[in-house]
Amino acid sequence: MPTPCVIETQELTKRFGTFDAVRALSFRVEGQRITAFLGRNGAGKSTTIKMLLGMTHPTSGTGTVLGRSITDARASTEMRRDVAYVGEDKQLYGYMTVEQMIRFTKSFYRDWQPEVEQRLLKQYQLPTGRKVKALSKGMRTKLALLLAFCRRPALLILDEPSEGLDPVAIEELLQALVAAAADGTAVFFCSHQIAEVERVAEQVCIIDHGQLVMNLSLEDMRQHYRRITLGFAEQQPAEKFRIQGIQQIQTSGRQVILTANQNSDAIVDLARTMDPVSVDVSPMGLREVFLETVKEEA
Amino acid sequence: MLWYKAWLESRTRFLLAALAIAGFCACSVLLHRDGVQMFDRPPTYVEYIWELVYKGYLRELFLLLTILLGVGGLLRERDFGTASFTLGLPVTRLRVVSVRAGLGLAEVVALSLLPALVIPSLSPLTGQSYPWSQALQFAVLWAVAGALIFMMGFLASSLFGGEYTAPVVAFSGLLVYSVIADLPFFERHFLDVNDIMSGTGMPYFQQHGSLLVGPVPWNALGVILLLVFSLVTLAGRITQQQDF
Repeated sequence: MPTPCVIETQELTKRFGTFDAVRALSFRVEGQRITAFLGRNGAGKSTTIKMLLGMTHPTSGTGTVLGRSITDARASTEMRRDVAYVGEDKQLYGYMTVEQMIRFTKSFYRDWQPEVEQRLLKQYQLPTGRKVKALSKGMRTKLALLLAFCRRPALLILDEPSEGLDPVAIEELLQALVAAAADGTAVFFCSHQIAEVERVAEQVCIIDHGQLVMNLSLEDMRQHYRRITLGFAEQQPAEKFRIQGIQQIQTSGRQVILTANQNSDAIVDLARTMDPVSVDVSPMGLREVFLETVKEEA
Repeated sequence: MLWYKAWLESRTRFLLAALAIAGFCACSVLLHRDGVQMFDRPPTYVEYIWELVYKGYLRELFLLLTILLGVGGLLRERDFGTASFTLGLPVTRLRVVSVRAGLGLAEVVALSLLPALVIPSLSPLTGQSYPWSQALQFAVLWAVAGALIFMMGFLASSLFGGEYTAPVVAFSGLLVYSVIADLPFFERHFLDVNDIMSGTGMPYFQQHGSLLVGPVPWNALGVILLLVFSLVTLAGRITQQQDF
């Protein structure tokens, strides 16, 4: 049985003047799993999230979040009841105390869990009487996370959630994400911390220059992505290696480095027929795949 | 809780404005013996209060303070980085705008009532009296006219996000409006809130004695309230179209 889709966009585009922040973005995010949304600075991640949440109006294209249209203001308001969101800058109302901020936020949601609130207040060591403007960036991030995790949303959208957190807090955050997904919450998050993403994410979407350039499961990536390094007695032309399954070709003297995203065994067999002096095949991590992908698109 | 948020955002400005208005009224009453020396012809106590409070400095101060009360909103929140949190809540933008407008208008009403409370209450301390009925009628005029001026600041804040841009635009708008409203051609066809507030040249005001003598101009006030409601709606529509 297919997993229900929590986010779906069709040709979603956002143009600021002559600049296309997001270009014809079409993708699906399935429920009950952790999906990472990766991209370089300015790739269009935050603009996409803001369009999904109704904060920014798409120039064209459509989309749904939890089955509700993102371009219908009423449906978008209803959708936000079931979505918890932690924004990129984590700014909260500086004139409120931590306690006021919690009281204010919980008044909007029926799924608030007071026991989680108490647990996280202790765990994050948040001073309830202190004004938000007097909190450090890390503490403010923790408060923003508390406001999201105290609920039981269908979808959790986080934009750079670990920014400003210490290693202990990052670890706790990653565990909380895994626990939320295990409880049936779909998690969709942006991060530049590839190592963190690789630890918890099940699906990865990569966006570059406003366009989706990759959407695959980490399991598929681990299974299919290979770096094939070939050594030859003489320099080889790159064109020779333009075969199906090769995503990237780099030549350096008599060495050819291939990035394969499928059929790596067949590619290696084919390469062997070209009489290489050495053949080395190694699996690729998310960091390498990400760099290769956005480099190709640059 | 949006009301609570709106109150926390505006309370400092409101309390300072209330303090300034109440302080001005109290000083005007308590120092009236010295105050009357400023005039060529010694005015009666009622005339003196009208000159200083209902026509003069306090009216101008009140207008400036109501503009400042209108400043703020989602564009300012965007500058502070809190707009995405507010817009992430399950509430419509129209509700966010109307709550802020509702609270601001309530604060304008409260500010307009202050002279009506302070002046008649303190006047006996200096052996004078100011009629409650006059003070309350002026409060009604100030509340409605102040609501319109408040909406100038509110609308400017819905259009311009910079810290000083919205108040500067609103103050400039008020200045231009006041100048145009005083031009002979427009005087007959224009609703001049300055004159409505002070009663100057109005059929319900008797210049000699500086007293409100006729019924409150409900039609003019109704038109202003309609305009205020239209401006709230316009601000809501503008905010709905914006990107944050």
